[in-house]
Amino acid sequence: MTVLVAYSPAAEGREALTTGITEALLRKTDLLIVNVGRGHHDLDPAEMQELEAQLRAANLTLTLESSVLSDPGDAVIQIAQDRNVDMIVVGLRHRSMVGKLILGSTVQRILLDATCPVLAVRPDGL
Amino acid sequence: MLDSAMAALASLADPSLLLMLLIGVVAGLVMGLIPGLGGTGAVAILLPITFGMEPPQALALLIGALAVVHTSDTVSAVLLGAPGSASASVTMLDGYSMAKNGQAARALTLAFLSSMAGGIIGAIGLTLAIPLARPLVLSFASPELFMLTVLGVALAAVLSRGNIIKGVSAGLLGLVLGMVGTSPTTAEERFTFGSLFLGDGLSLVAVALGIFGLAEIASRASQRRGQKQNVSLGGGWGKGIREWLSHWTQVIRGALIGIWAGVLPGVGATAGTWLAYGQAVATAKDKRKFGKGDPRGIVGPESANNSVEAGDLIPTLLFGIPGGVPSAMLLGMLLTYGIQPGPSIITEHLDLMYLIVWSFAIASVLGALFCFLSVKQLAKLTKVPFAVLAAGLVAIMLLGSFQEGGQLGDLWVMIILGVFGWLLKSTGFPRAPFLIGFVLAIPLERYYFLTDSLYNGLDWMARPGVLVFLAILILPIVWSFIKFLRARKQANLDDGHRDERPEDDESPLKNSMWSLAAAGIFTAAFAAALIASASFSPEARLVPQLVSIGGLVFSAILLFIEVRVRLRARTVAAGWTLDAGFALKTFLWMTGFLALTAAFGYIVAVTIFIPAFLLIVARARLKVAITYTLVLYVALLALPSLLPIDLPQGWLNTLI
Repeated sequence: MTVLVAYSPAAEGREALTTGITEALLRKTDLLIVNVGRGHHDLDPAEMQELEAQLRAANLTLTLESSVLSDPGDAVIQIAQDRNVDMIVVGLRHRSMVGKLILGSTVQRILLDATCPVLAVRPDGL
Repeated sequence: MLDSAMAALASLADPSLLLMLLIGVVAGLVMGLIPGLGGTGAVAILLPITFGMEPPQALALLIGALAVVHTSDTVSAVLLGAPGSASASVTMLDGYSMAKNGQAARALTLAFLSSMAGGIIGAIGLTLAIPLARPLVLSFASPELFMLTVLGVALAAVLSRGNIIKGVSAGLLGLVLGMVGTSPTTAEERFTFGSLFLGDGLSLVAVALGIFGLAEIASRASQRRGQKQNVSLGGGWGKGIREWLSHWTQVIRGALIGIWAGVLPGVGATAGTWLAYGQAVATAKDKRKFGKGDPRGIVGPESANNSVEAGDLIPTLLFGIPGGVPSAMLLGMLLTYGIQPGPSIITEHLDLMYLIVWSFAIASVLGALFCFLSVKQLAKLTKVPFAVLAAGLVAIMLLGSFQEGGQLGDLWVMIILGVFGWLLKSTGFPRAPFLIGFVLAIPLERYYFLTDSLYNGLDWMARPGVLVFLAILILPIVWSFIKFLRARKQANLDDGHRDERPEDDESPLKNSMWSLAAAGIFTAAFAAALIASASFSPEARLVPQLVSIGGLVFSAILLFIEVRVRLRARTVAAGWTLDAGFALKTFLWMTGFLALTAAFGYIVAVTIFIPAFLLIVARARLKVAITYTLVLYVALLALPSLLPIDLPQGWLNTLI
């Protein structure tokens, strides 16, 4: 029983992380973080420890996972399927129609391809 | 159309052609197994052998090898988890996982069959491209052909992996190097410094073998130990065949991605294979098994890496712009036979086009067949440590590059370019645009002056074909600029499907004093070219000056970035690393070998160099060193009577 957070070092990723922690505590499930940022921007070690302590207090565990797949969307879905997670939490950002048409959108692909419920959050809350 | 296709097939019944094709296939399979050689190494090593042949025989040999290089490079990736080429590292993800579960036979069946299908689909793609492109190609005049050569260099520079500025600098330096020798318009000598030897220009084989071959050997020669694991193939051949049949859509999709990656200049087998893997993952509903032994992760990429080589040939033969490094060398070979790829190959040498297509398809089938039959022997070959292979490869490469001009100067050029190629490779410069620029330098200049003399002023710019090519030239540059801006603002986190390789392990010396030195060398080379070109006549001066001014601008930017990185870096960057020391030491060995050759002749040099290198660098056993030397010695004595090959004579021989 796990909640998967697709984390990236940006406002959307932070928002996804906050919601993911709330959700994990609420559901009393473990938390799994998958880094979807470009490059290796992992969480701050200090922040990691704080998170771990917070979850351990509720008797839950925190895991970081990565995949051999280079596309973050595919990696998130692979790990979600592999670990049989209950829910994926992703952060949304505004993308224009043209932007999505030309570049595509990772979040959109996660939403469409995921085989479990997906919770999408937005940092501005509008 | 059909007549010439059938005539070409009938001509393949000629025993000499068939024999060449077979030799090519066997050579290609062996070279596919050797890490780092790939299609580039295979063509560069075989090219010198073809110098005395007729064009059909030469093409059968080279295409035979090129078509199967990516069939056998899978073997070591699957069995040992050590890919024979960068593009086979994709197959390793799922293939090696299968092998660890005792299903190596299943993985290899999937890989060989897909490689075969990829090659055949690639050949079909090449066939279909001929009638489709024919009317277009025939409408081209010199302005379009000029634009195409510019596009060839520019796209290779922009689309190659890594930094665009580095790509453009490498492409422009390749152009400058290609202009060494006699100017095509005024017949005056440029950048020769009065040397008679440089008057003919640099030899293509020497440049290619230096930049790619020797550089690769130097960066890998430190691998003394072979793979010791015992390889078990396991069963499952029949299961593999059935499974392959059920994934036929993936095979076709992979092959089409491969053709497309091949058509684009600078996007080679490696990028094409990762693209195919990315697409296989993206279209799969159940992604759990990827990276842990999913057949779809083998089928698509394997089919793509063979069809890339066929796709590469499409722009090479039809437009005269090479789609990749091996085909750039093929283009150089065709030019030496006086066959001008582009419009004239379609009108005058259609039979050769179809010969290439048939050779490619037949070689793909033969390659897969041989792989099935000899998989156990091939697996043994992958256990030989690279350092042991390196000794023989150095000897063969130096002999090869001697064949084009028969001058020892070519070999010195080759070693110098080898050091430069190693520097480029380790500091993250793409080397494909460099070689493509080198091959296209003279055609570019010739088409420019043809255009200039046929049209008034800039009238040629208004031709519709030219405008289309201008658009194609500018769009990727704008596109990558936008991507660069988005990456800086971290706004690209959500962009698109990422198919590139997961991490950059190819260039360990990026952002170090080495890359600073590389930027410095670039700047100095362009500045020197600019100063040297000031003394040429106006016609001979124009293109070199334009190229070196452009190069100076780009390399200055590069230098600025490097200096800024060095100033900002807080930690001490990698300076004299162990690998760098080893690579440079290997180059010293090569120089020693060449000095011996110059003094005592090639045969004597081999008998001294090979055992010394094996015992000291590779740390092989004495028995191995002696047998190795003896076999090579006998082969070298027999070689000149079998093939039209000259052995370099030393200073001592001239005295006698």
